[in-house]
Amino acid sequence: MGLRDKTVVITGAARGIGRACAVRAAEEGADVVLIDIGGDVPEVPYALGSASQLEQTARLCRKNGASVLVATADVRSRAAVTAAVTAAVDRFGRIDALINNAGVGAPSGKATHDFTEEEWRVMLDVNLSGPWHLISAVAPVMVAQRAGSIVNVASTAGLVGYRHFAGYVASKHGLVGLTKAAALDYAPLNIRVNALCPGPVRDDPAVDGQMTAVVADALGIGYEEQEAVYLESVATDSLVDPADVAGAAIWLAGDDSLKVTGTVIPVDAGFSAR
Amino acid sequence: MSVSSEVAAEALAAPHPSGRFFARSEFGSDPARACHSLIRRLPAGTDAAALRDNLAALMERHPALHGTLLFHEALDVDAGDRAAHRHRSRESGRAVNGAPAPARAVLLSYADGAADLVLVAHRRAMDRRALDQLATALTDPAHPVTLPEAAADWSAQHDGPPELAWGLGDPARAGRAGTAVLTSTAVSDGTAPAVALAATALVLARYGATEHAEFALITGGPAAGDTHRSVALPAGEAALAADLLDAAAHAGATGGEAPSGIPAVGVLLTEKRDGDVYRPVLAPPFPVTVAWQYGTDGTDGTDGTDGTLSGVLHYDEGVLDPVIAGQFAGHVARVVDALVQAPAGARVGDIELVDAEEAAAVIAAGRTPAEGDAVIAPVHELFRKVAAGRPDAPALSDPEHTLSYAELDARSDAVAGALRDHGVAPGDRVGVCLDRTAELVISLLGVVKAGAAYVPMDVTYPAERLLHTVSDSGARLVLSSAEDFPAADGVTVVHPSELSRTADGPIADPGGSADDIAYVIYTSGSTGRPKGVAVPHRNVGALLAATTADLGLGPEDTWALFHSSAFDFSVWEIWGALLTGGHLVVVPYFVSRSPEDFHDLLVRHRVTVLSQTPSAFAMLKEVDLRRTADLAVRLVVFGGEPLDVRMLQDWFRGHPHTRCRVVNMYGITETTVHVTSQTVTPQDIGAGSRSVGRALPGWSVSVRDTAGGVQPFGVPGEIYVGGAGVASHYLNQEELTAARFVHDPVTGERVYRSGDLGRLRPDGRLDHLGRIDGQVKVRGFRIELGEIRSVLLEDQNVTAAAVVLGGDADDAAQVRLDAYVVPRYEAVSVAEIRERAARYLPDYMVPATFTLLSELPLTVNGKVDTSGLEPAAEATPAEAAGRPTDDPVLRVWREVLGKDVGPDDDFFVFGGNSLLAVRLSGALRRAGLPPVSLRELYVYPTAAEVSALLAAREATEDPGGHPAT
Repeated sequence: MGLRDKTVVITGAARGIGRACAVRAAEEGADVVLIDIGGDVPEVPYALGSASQLEQTARLCRKNGASVLVATADVRSRAAVTAAVTAAVDRFGRIDALINNAGVGAPSGKATHDFTEEEWRVMLDVNLSGPWHLISAVAPVMVAQRAGSIVNVASTAGLVGYRHFAGYVASKHGLVGLTKAAALDYAPLNIRVNALCPGPVRDDPAVDGQMTAVVADALGIGYEEQEAVYLESVATDSLVDPADVAGAAIWLAGDDSLKVTGTVIPVDAGFSAR
Repeated sequence: MSVSSEVAAEALAAPHPSGRFFARSEFGSDPARACHSLIRRLPAGTDAAALRDNLAALMERHPALHGTLLFHEALDVDAGDRAAHRHRSRESGRAVNGAPAPARAVLLSYADGAADLVLVAHRRAMDRRALDQLATALTDPAHPVTLPEAAADWSAQHDGPPELAWGLGDPARAGRAGTAVLTSTAVSDGTAPAVALAATALVLARYGATEHAEFALITGGPAAGDTHRSVALPAGEAALAADLLDAAAHAGATGGEAPSGIPAVGVLLTEKRDGDVYRPVLAPPFPVTVAWQYGTDGTDGTDGTDGTLSGVLHYDEGVLDPVIAGQFAGHVARVVDALVQAPAGARVGDIELVDAEEAAAVIAAGRTPAEGDAVIAPVHELFRKVAAGRPDAPALSDPEHTLSYAELDARSDAVAGALRDHGVAPGDRVGVCLDRTAELVISLLGVVKAGAAYVPMDVTYPAERLLHTVSDSGARLVLSSAEDFPAADGVTVVHPSELSRTADGPIADPGGSADDIAYVIYTSGSTGRPKGVAVPHRNVGALLAATTADLGLGPEDTWALFHSSAFDFSVWEIWGALLTGGHLVVVPYFVSRSPEDFHDLLVRHRVTVLSQTPSAFAMLKEVDLRRTADLAVRLVVFGGEPLDVRMLQDWFRGHPHTRCRVVNMYGITETTVHVTSQTVTPQDIGAGSRSVGRALPGWSVSVRDTAGGVQPFGVPGEIYVGGAGVASHYLNQEELTAARFVHDPVTGERVYRSGDLGRLRPDGRLDHLGRIDGQVKVRGFRIELGEIRSVLLEDQNVTAAAVVLGGDADDAAQVRLDAYVVPRYEAVSVAEIRERAARYLPDYMVPATFTLLSELPLTVNGKVDTSGLEPAAEATPAEAAGRPTDDPVLRVWREVLGKDVGPDDDFFVFGGNSLLAVRLSGALRRAGLPPVSLRELYVYPTAAEVSALLAAREATEDPGGHPAT
């Protein structure tokens, strides 16, 4: 029960890594604030987390003894994010950890100069400005508490480049930079900021995961083909599971990692070791 | 969200708060401190919609309730399930985060149809009574709710609390909460609140050594509004227990104002109500919170005649150590029982805090058993054994000679023989007043070999003091090379060169026992005359036995003899080296006063063991930081004055503690140099440790109250020292000896009452907290202010005098002694008084300032009211002062003294002292001026004289001009 009586805010909680993190946090004794967009964005060529998926995550968390607050918010909107965080503080009185997980993998699949202004902007708005909005809303709470842990879910695309993913790579590199800068800002106040860089993550039906499918679509190839490419790139003989990422996120969120801040930790099945 | 971004910005801009109490938790802004909660079982089937409607109606009626939140959690477990319990406990422990939400209501409904209401509110918005009423009104909206008009609100107070002198909290752990159960006991109905408060007050008074225990008190019950005030209860030893209980009974109802700021200790006294689960606070409102709850006889028909009293101690580990918390809780529990059973007429002083078993445990913690068999032999026997084992190894060096062990043995034999020829017999005292050369050490060794005790005197002491020392010690012979050693009747002054002996070969040891006196060192005495401390041989052997193994002392070591033989730190240096086979390098006086020259010496002789006062070390360290030459020092031993470990920060950077060990030792002349030892590491710097460590093997320390009773861990009191280092007696001072060297009824041992204030940590380490009396330390010198005052009062021109420590306590060079004097006649000048005082007092005891007053301010008790003294009158610079100057020497003068002195103003009259003289010397060098030795500064103490000296030197092209030292 590493997060006993703590309150954890998770964005992109409807499915995938976000759901895995939420359920794990509940298992570890935390109460959770689940934030997701609960709807689609025109520039993003795939369906985003839905309200029913978000409610499914909430059910799984409650089953594990957590009290749950569900909030629908588009992380691109500072006002919506602030309202969700305010609701969280009203309900739970404090926020111990933030898992900044919401992000989009597409529009991608084209050369750098081929992105439209709108496509470029949506990528940076969701993947970089979104986490910044969350940090901006949560930090004052944590500053008052003189305690807190922020986990930014970046990507191996925050460490290296990928062809035809300029917007995604740029936003995730930005998120890694944001992590380091924020870590320095808040370290004196006992607030930690770290980034996780998940490598190729398997689409786990248990959490409605679909990122590999999104990447395959963007590149115009099939899921199996994409998975084969991924398997080729990692050192292990299987891809990363959302649960693997959740394990690292929960460790960073809790007190077991008390002196870990400003770090960037790949959870990538050995991808970046090559 | 109540925390504005401005608050966050301010916090971010603030300097790193580590090491401060509020470092980890912003205590003042933690809403949990100001919240309380209530859990009430609701009628089965209560549904959320009904509650919501009722709440809306209530908010309509009471605008102050506006913003109250209502949540519903439908749990799929039964009310009795563990998971349900966890939800209740979690909900009732969540703070409301201030405005705009005054309260939060959570309806927990269970699978079995049961339901609980959990109410959490900020006390500012709702007191205990209002919380209780709101719980009722949510199911019965007609029920009245009385909201407080101006509720107790301590959460807005952000000031840090005073440090708890007995708490032993670790600033690095600030923000971590701990709890300890105080007691849970049956108390006659109605008296529980009084017993709780009285017990708390009694223990606080004992811990804080006060007659009136003061603390903040918060009360609250379902029947009446909360109160928050400061109370003071009479808990002095002489008070009647009944009076204390009576005062306690009224404390909750009447009393003082709300406290300003957060006091370190607060008491929370609340009434239980059957059925409800009430949490008076969600986080302790004070750094140390004594939370009492007492039961009523109930409204549900239980006809109780006995109430219950239960208490929990909540504390912040930054203020209170968990072990001390447990101890405090145990004492409160014991006192509760004692008060309940106290017979009529019992006095507070009759109630025992520390029982025999606990006292024994505290005593044991402060005692370190001797290791192995202590070597019980006279110093010279120990020396002879070492010398026989390594005759050709270097034993003693000064700038001119190096003596092997065999040579030192022979030379000191010759001195011993010659002393006998002069009629010195075993048991005699022999004065030794020699410059710091090899001759000094040979002579000291010669004296003990003759079976006598040496009485060291510093050559810089004024004549009157030397005379007193000789006559008080009963020495009939003084070894001195000074031409002008003051003559006294019946005392022979012998130059060491006259001690050549015709007969060669070793002399027979005088035999003698380890209980004979080895030396008599004079220390400042409050009566106006220094007092001689007689230390037996066995103590010196025990000191080395206690430290040799731990510090790894041995033949590979080279020691510096840095200190005057009249200061007992030299006992450690001399015998530490010579009894472990090391090499002792004598540091000439003027080298000891120049950190540059001393650093050179350390490098040149590859000194490995360095003993220093923190003041002296601070200057040496500054030199070391500027230099590249490698020191061979592997061990630094601090003694003589309290060490501020922060000074070591940059030292450790250049000299890692793994290569050069740093040991802080607390000691007193009366207990043979050292008593405790604490190895200092970089980790101690952050913690700002005041620990002087554990007792040396064979020594023991304990902390006592004024009656000699054992103080609990953490509680300050007088340090008693027992064991192998306790000196024999004060020479010719039977009364003082009986007062300070006492038989301890607790341990049955002979102990020395140090007059030092300390506290013992549960791990046996001692914290040194200063002096109980008027003794002060100035630049490492132990000074009784009373001694200076007595000397001033002996002046016929003086009718009254006071001496206080002035200047900047944080800077050793700026600490000074300020004298306030009431002259007998108007015509008396400061210069006259100063001059006379300087004849009796060593330089370091002559006040830096003298202020003439027509009378001294007195306290109501008739003592000098030092707080009422005006700022010390500093000497007025001469006319030429204040003018801009082209003279680079004078510019440096002004920079170091921080005053616009003139060219003819005496350095030492204008606040100069030995440390500032060292700074002046360094500043001259840095200003590109030719070197001026310290000796020259003492001889030419004005800027004009030094300028002339430099000009003359330039004219004769004398590049150095150092007089031989």
